[in-house]
Amino acid sequence: MTRQPELSVIIPVGQRSDDLEKLHSSYSRSLDACGLSYEVVYVLDGALDAAIAQLSVLRDAGQRIKVIQLSKRFGEAAALMAGVSHSVGSKILTLPAYFQIEAPEIERVLDASRAADMVVARRWPRRGTVFERMRRACFHGLLRMVTGEKFRDLGCSVRAFDRSVIDDINLYGDQHRLLPVLAAKQGFRIVEIDVSQAQEDRFLGRYRAREYLHRILDMLTVFFLVRFTKKPLRFFGMIGSTIFAVGAAVFVVLIVQRLVFDQALADRPALLLSSLLVVLGVQLFALGLLGELIIFTHARDLKEYRIAEIVEAESDSTEDMKSAGRTPLASSFQ
Amino acid sequence: MVPVYNEEQNIVPLFEAIHETISALDLRYEVLLVDDGSTDSTFQNAADLARRYPEVRAIRFRRNYGQTAAMAAGIDLAKGEVLVTMDGDLQNDPADIPRFLEEIENGNDIVVGWRYDRKDKLISRKVPSRIANWLIGKVTGLPIRDNGCSLKAFRANVIKQIPLYSEMHRFIPAMASLAGPRLTEIKVNHHARQFGESKYGLSRVYKVLLDLLTIKTIVGFAARPSTWFILIAVPALVLSMLMLTGSFYDVIVLDRSFSTPVAGVGVLFGALGLFLVMAGMFAELVYKTGDNRVEKLSMLTARSLYSGEVSYLDESEKKRV
Repeated sequence: MTRQPELSVIIPVGQRSDDLEKLHSSYSRSLDACGLSYEVVYVLDGALDAAIAQLSVLRDAGQRIKVIQLSKRFGEAAALMAGVSHSVGSKILTLPAYFQIEAPEIERVLDASRAADMVVARRWPRRGTVFERMRRACFHGLLRMVTGEKFRDLGCSVRAFDRSVIDDINLYGDQHRLLPVLAAKQGFRIVEIDVSQAQEDRFLGRYRAREYLHRILDMLTVFFLVRFTKKPLRFFGMIGSTIFAVGAAVFVVLIVQRLVFDQALADRPALLLSSLLVVLGVQLFALGLLGELIIFTHARDLKEYRIAEIVEAESDSTEDMKSAGRTPLASSFQ
Repeated sequence: MVPVYNEEQNIVPLFEAIHETISALDLRYEVLLVDDGSTDSTFQNAADLARRYPEVRAIRFRRNYGQTAAMAAGIDLAKGEVLVTMDGDLQNDPADIPRFLEEIENGNDIVVGWRYDRKDKLISRKVPSRIANWLIGKVTGLPIRDNGCSLKAFRANVIKQIPLYSEMHRFIPAMASLAGPRLTEIKVNHHARQFGESKYGLSRVYKVLLDLLTIKTIVGFAARPSTWFILIAVPALVLSMLMLTGSFYDVIVLDRSFSTPVAGVGVLFGALGLFLVMAGMFAELVYKTGDNRVEKLSMLTARSLYSGEVSYLDESEKKRV
């Protein structure tokens, strides 16, 4: 273990996990075939006794795996981040703790990742009932509408990416699914490739209404984060000033009616409505300014840009310097 | 320091012009070409320059982040004591740079260019820019006649401390006024565009207005954030008091029936006032925990009265820059 592995395989283990012994052997068979040096990190999201037992069997069998256990259930994003900080490879591959894709497809994912910053696997062709298909299409369509990024299978957690991608993005909450979206917004090149779905990949539990709500809230968060984090006043100010304008307009109408048509002002409910709108508008505006103040006071930490590369003359490129270093410019460019 | 975006044809002549002017000055200098995710061969050209000339550094962004980000990157990475920014479209004339440097030598912290003879279309460019400049001048109180001119010079230790984000590049002098810099404006030449497309449009009025408001608030109140909120709370509270007293006066003294809408509106505005006061408290909290403080900025431009010495932040601050 003196050499640093090139690839870190991170497997967050949550509530849903298949037989890890079988899974590990199929993963490691295809990973070995790729010819990269790699390490495998399992991150247990809380006390998962069954998984711990299976992993210790693997460990006893001489498999070199690293197992990290979070002290309580923090969610997959936290597990992923913990895995990242406990691994060293410059390239990261995340795999699910259950059969989702056919293991030999890993090689294709890794191949594709040479030409991009991040590769997202998409299970295709895909089994599922009509309802499931509709649900999926709905989710991804909505996501595309909100963020402008086109992904077709964010439920698949097979992703390969450079460490620099995750260094730039701080995942929290339920954002692990949306990692490709956030990365795309940071300017990374993302490729989606089709992989064949595993036979065993079937989610038997039912999605509850809460799950749907969570997905939609995630999307809203990302929408806000991507669009307006650096200019909160544009977001709050736009909504606030619209509401304020409506309220003020209603108020003006009331005043005109009072003065010109002599309608009593004091006992009209519309007066309450207009002042409610005005009040709400001012409040939203104030929130926007608070946001701006937060951004201003932390602007030093918010680096807005990501540099892809810097080219400068190297001191050892002597021939370049000789031929071009001090020649008159006008001639050298003609 | 030149932010460039899709300016493949302009970049080489630009560097030639800069090189010609500055090499006559006997100065050590560097040229930073910041490529804001161009889709054409701008970066190849810039990188070629960088490989050939030790003075040039070419920086490429991962994608298009906007001009402010390009400026911010240039400012962060620049090593010089004086930073000169200019457009990459050859509309600014590098021959003006020496006069900017002179003004910095004269003790100014910021020198702004004024394109007194603009070579642009009248209706779509000049007229809106007149109005915008007038408005910006009124709001920020800075006597700058041309905020859109990119040719500017800054003393590095001042500008490096000014937070630049969002689309602030139009307002760099306004943001910088947080630090109370000595600022002057000089006339510069302006050429018509030779190559490439202009990248500005008219459609940003609304955004500029909100940004302007942001800057006004931050510049005016960043050091005492609750004041601003309490100032807008006062009219709401006064209104609320008037309406509430009015409706009770009606009932108690005039013996009329209680007017629910009036009292309701009074309560609403009272709530607004309270909310704003609380928001002001919150703002104090935010300001206290943040690390960009206006007090620090004031030290940047302070100088000893008799020796004319320029002050720097202490050593630890220097390292952070």
